[in-house]
Amino acid sequence: MRPEFGSLTEHVVEFSRRLRAHGVLCGPAETADALRALRAVNLLDREAFRLALRTTLPHRREDLAVFDALFESYWRAWRAPEPQAEDTKPEPQAAEGASLGSPSVRRWGREDPEGEQEVPGYSPLEVLSRKDFSSFREDELDRIARLVVAIARRIATRWSRRRRRARRSHLLDMRRTLRLHLRWGGAFPELAFQRRKIRKHRVVLLCDVSGSMDVYSRFLIQFVYALQDALGRVESFVFSTSLTRVTEELRSRSLRRALDRLSQTVPNWSGGTKIGTSLRQFLDRYGGLLDRHTVVVIVSDGWDTGEVEVLRRAMQEIRARAARVIWLNPLLGSPGYQPLTRGMQAALPYVHVFASAHNAESLRELEQALAQGRSRGSGRREAR
Amino acid sequence: MGEQAQVSRPTLGDVEQILAALAQEGYIADREIATAIYLSIELHKPLLVEGAAGVGKTEIAKVMARALGTDLIRLQCYEGLDVNTALYEWNYQKQMLRIRLEEGSGRSPEEKEQTIFSEPFLLRRPLLQAITHPKAPVLLVDEIDRVDEEFEAFLLELLSDWQITIPEIGTIRAQHVPYVVLTSNRTRELSDALRRRCLYLWIDYPSFEKELAIVLRKVPGISRQLAEQIAAFLHAVRALDLQKVPGVAETLDWSAALMRLHRDHLDREAVERTLGCLFKHHEDQKVARGPWLDRALAVIADAQRDGQSLQAALDRLERLARG
Repeated sequence: MRPEFGSLTEHVVEFSRRLRAHGVLCGPAETADALRALRAVNLLDREAFRLALRTTLPHRREDLAVFDALFESYWRAWRAPEPQAEDTKPEPQAAEGASLGSPSVRRWGREDPEGEQEVPGYSPLEVLSRKDFSSFREDELDRIARLVVAIARRIATRWSRRRRRARRSHLLDMRRTLRLHLRWGGAFPELAFQRRKIRKHRVVLLCDVSGSMDVYSRFLIQFVYALQDALGRVESFVFSTSLTRVTEELRSRSLRRALDRLSQTVPNWSGGTKIGTSLRQFLDRYGGLLDRHTVVVIVSDGWDTGEVEVLRRAMQEIRARAARVIWLNPLLGSPGYQPLTRGMQAALPYVHVFASAHNAESLRELEQALAQGRSRGSGRREAR
Repeated sequence: MGEQAQVSRPTLGDVEQILAALAQEGYIADREIATAIYLSIELHKPLLVEGAAGVGKTEIAKVMARALGTDLIRLQCYEGLDVNTALYEWNYQKQMLRIRLEEGSGRSPEEKEQTIFSEPFLLRRPLLQAITHPKAPVLLVDEIDRVDEEFEAFLLELLSDWQITIPEIGTIRAQHVPYVVLTSNRTRELSDALRRRCLYLWIDYPSFEKELAIVLRKVPGISRQLAEQIAAFLHAVRALDLQKVPGVAETLDWSAALMRLHRDHLDREAVERTLGCLFKHHEDQKVARGPWLDRALAVIADAQRDGQSLQAALDRLERLARG
């Protein structure tokens, strides 16, 4: 009854493959669902056809825009099935920018989906400069790393609602208590308790490596590295004019090797700074990392050469979505410094903790600030 | 408990029938929503509904249940929701009483234990209710983004196997696979695994036409003129820089308030007196009171008087609100 169905199947498979090539979460299972869905709708109705694919193939809002753009270009040639058209495979159009939604979609349009993936945020127009990290001293590194690990643990630990059996606590484990009760025939010889299990926060670290932060960058990278090493759930990013995720790069065992690798892979190390744009990029691409258990640590001096409003809005959004926002500004350590840069002014209202990070001593102070914050926080949680 | 989880369930017919059924239930849906519901039923897959607060995500499940003539079982998620609250709990008071009653009965502790850890002593929470329901219900898992990853993983397993194991009783299989609707406000990113388990529906704020239809349908006695003004005004308001963008629920509250005040058209005074219905933040109310308000109201009045192109008027309103 549908002579063209075979070729349609191939097209749906090919279309799913293209979605996947453009970063949409979509595999064979989705393709199978889409084909089942197409059997359930009226294929002569183009809108029904489109909605069937749109409901089954993408799974997140961000992917809908990609879907819409690709659908238009891929199925442009496809109309209601006509016998003579069945074997002409619609050519995916090299997308003209105007017809497509977002800049990223436009960029994909120009690239071969099978081609090399570029480093996110990389642009040949940006100033690329690479730094040699060989000047780190091994003994210095160890000492600071140990302190930073202690701080990192403190950031990353909180009481969770998950319960665990323990000898003393305030939550009765009724199920176990009753069993004990039965065993002893009526009296309550022993009460069984549950205890909250310790659960870790996720930490997102956003680290400014632009020119104005040059002096501090080697110190900061130690901080990044130590956090990464102490905990499994740290996501690290560096930014100057754009943002680069460095979680993987920092995962290697040896700091020296990690640093070597970083200086090679991070573009525009010590270029200018666009803090707002970089934070926006973070929200757009990795916003899913933020939730009520996430501590965001931003390390920057606040010298933003971009639009202040962009920075303000990004900070507002981060504040709304994360558990805690900590801004470390190395300049805060210099006597007489006032956080008067426009960027810093815009960001400050959305920051829970504003502290310096210019030396080990200041990190120790930060550790205390975090400890106070935590006990207050957990007290409130337990009261509920 | 049946050996096979059966999937023979009543369906709502095709997309057009679903649209009709939804309209009958007072829910103004577009084809996107109807298609998602239809496919969720046809493919026996959970439907994940995302969108801003107040766009009618929860309504989908309620309407689905009414249209299918089945029960709605709702699991409201919150931070710290655990298996005891979501799945089952033992009825400890009842168990205690039984223990007291059986004192001196001479039965061994093992026998007593078997008695009090059996089905009559089980408190069925929403998920267990959904699985053991005599007729396939609609299971609404509301605001799934509020639970933590562990609970999400547990739920994912349940949605795959439709069976649960209670250590004291054994494995309970679903007699009828429920229709599942999950909603999320996107305060936390859901796992890829859960997303891939579901069909996906994003509900945006309604278009002018859709909102107009909703107001006309849901606010008895409202004049078309006022309803149009309300829908156009909301179109502009959603382009403002707000902390909390009003949803459809707010539109309806506001419409009802205007009716109470016997207004037949919008003016600054009417808007200012009823500001609290739409704007739930002090800052937002300040924004709304600003000078743009007079110009927006003028644009709406002009558009209605001159009968000029609707789209042009809406575009102008949007530009105005964006400043």
